[in-house]
Amino acid sequence: MKAEELQQIKEKVEEGYLPQWVVTDPEIYKLEQERIFGTTWLFLGHESELNEPGSYITRMMADDPILLMKNKTGEIKAFLNSCTHRGTRLCTVDFGKKKTHTCPYHGWSYNLDGELIGIVAGNKVYGEKMDKSEWGLRPVPRVESYQGMIFGNLDHNAVSLEEYLGEMKWYFDIMLGRSDGGMEVRGLPQRWVAKANWKMTSENFAADPYHVQTTHRSAVEMKLTPTDPLYASFGHQVVLSNGHGINVITSATGKSANKYQGMPESMWPMFEKNLNNEQLGIFSRVTTFVGGVFPNLSFLSSCSGSEGTKHNHLQFRVWRPIGPDKVEIWVWYMIDKALPEDYKEKSYKGFLATFGAAGTFEQDDTENWARIIEASQGRMSRDRKLNYNNVANYLMGLDNLEPDENFPGPGTAYPSCYTDHIARSMHKYWLELIMEETRG
Amino acid sequence: METHLHYEISQFLYKEAYLLDHRQYLDWLELLTEDIKYVMPLRVTVDNKTKSNFISEMSYFTDTKEDITMKVERLYTKSAWVDNPAPRQRHFISNVMIEPTIIADEYKVRSYFLFKRSRASEINTEELFGEREDIIRRENGEWKIAQRTVYPDQAVLTVMNISMFL
Repeated sequence: MKAEELQQIKEKVEEGYLPQWVVTDPEIYKLEQERIFGTTWLFLGHESELNEPGSYITRMMADDPILLMKNKTGEIKAFLNSCTHRGTRLCTVDFGKKKTHTCPYHGWSYNLDGELIGIVAGNKVYGEKMDKSEWGLRPVPRVESYQGMIFGNLDHNAVSLEEYLGEMKWYFDIMLGRSDGGMEVRGLPQRWVAKANWKMTSENFAADPYHVQTTHRSAVEMKLTPTDPLYASFGHQVVLSNGHGINVITSATGKSANKYQGMPESMWPMFEKNLNNEQLGIFSRVTTFVGGVFPNLSFLSSCSGSEGTKHNHLQFRVWRPIGPDKVEIWVWYMIDKALPEDYKEKSYKGFLATFGAAGTFEQDDTENWARIIEASQGRMSRDRKLNYNNVANYLMGLDNLEPDENFPGPGTAYPSCYTDHIARSMHKYWLELIMEETRG
Repeated sequence: METHLHYEISQFLYKEAYLLDHRQYLDWLELLTEDIKYVMPLRVTVDNKTKSNFISEMSYFTDTKEDITMKVERLYTKSAWVDNPAPRQRHFISNVMIEPTIIADEYKVRSYFLFKRSRASEINTEELFGEREDIIRRENGEWKIAQRTVYPDQAVLTVMNISMFL
């Protein structure tokens, strides 16, 4: 990638444009693999997915298969899921429980701390010089968690997870730390593959309530959502550090018909104990939280059901890039442990009906993501010199929206969710990372 | 009798596939009982070969007749973009096996499915495959589907969405 090309993207991004060629460009994709997925905090799973010592789950950090295990003292450790002998993928299943993991190729086995504990025919074939302690599984350099959310980072020198999440922690506390006992993941994440670029899907969740009224118009036709085309704009779009962002969507009145997102009153005292007044204020008024942690973790906390009996559900999703034009979608459904079973069941059904691979909202999103790919691969859209001025428009709110100084939460809050402030901030951070030489 | 029953039920499943492939969803709805349970659990990969590799806690859908009806109605709105342009689809149904249940006129019917879909001018086609386990019932002389569990063979589905009925 030529330095002047990156410089040219920079100029465009500062003016509120994104050259269309960067969406699917293979060279950009390579830079992203190295400088974004190699250096930022990537979501691996939730602590509730690993119950007892010996529990394990397998995940992906872009192209690296990862094995997470809970050891005897209850610590969660993450390793490259690869035998250190010849590199064979060690564990091929999604989840389970066992004390040791043994490679099927030559039988090397590892304990829950990733230590090599068994070599077939050990000393007889290697003599005395082989030191097992040098051949343990390769740990993910950094593994940290916040509110039960486990992240990994391939960069030893990265800032801490808490520092990286920054202002997002305050909003995570509302979604994940509001009730006693925290959240639990139900079952396993749904997984499927879509024709999409990870930047566009991340942006769709983190930065784009504007699409709701058109993409999800069928919900209006079905009388499930309001007819006012501005209905998803009410509230605040909040730009956070490091390319993160959240939309705090309310209604035309600035309130929600369903206090605390339709959670039962029996839960309210817990919220009031676990959250501060500013957090409670926002949580009581919000209809939908939708946002993202850069680069590829998105979340959505919304309500489904008929008016008056709406049930909240929370989902986290990872857009795992498997090429410039393909993502593997992982969707975790989470729910407050403390909720009554009956509520959990209704919430789960609401989630399945709206989002997730078979959800009616989701289906129409996938169509648009695919269409972006289809129109971003040709010579005109890949024009790096921009002779055709082929840029995508991120101008919304650029000159006509000032931050709301009275918004009680951290971050820079704009008084409408129909604005491109988060998208522009994501692009700036994205560019900053891909222009930076990989750290040592 | 056995052969005849097998023929009748197989023909019923082929007719169902025809209605779906030709987007005659309102006619298709008529084939479902009012109390239908229509479920697609997640296929997972587990270590123990003898244990189930489906989980019941999470599914792609767990629909009632009301849920299915709403999905059908949505596909008939002007702005269900996933269906506009309408993808071309084929359900290939085979390996039909029928067992009686303890209820008269109710049969447990297993079949294999291969679903293929082509969207607009897209060259790559999408597919899903697996097995279905149905409860098929005769109500007032008509065959109806009273229960369907769709077991996909993939832990990571290679379709962009599940807008289709399986």
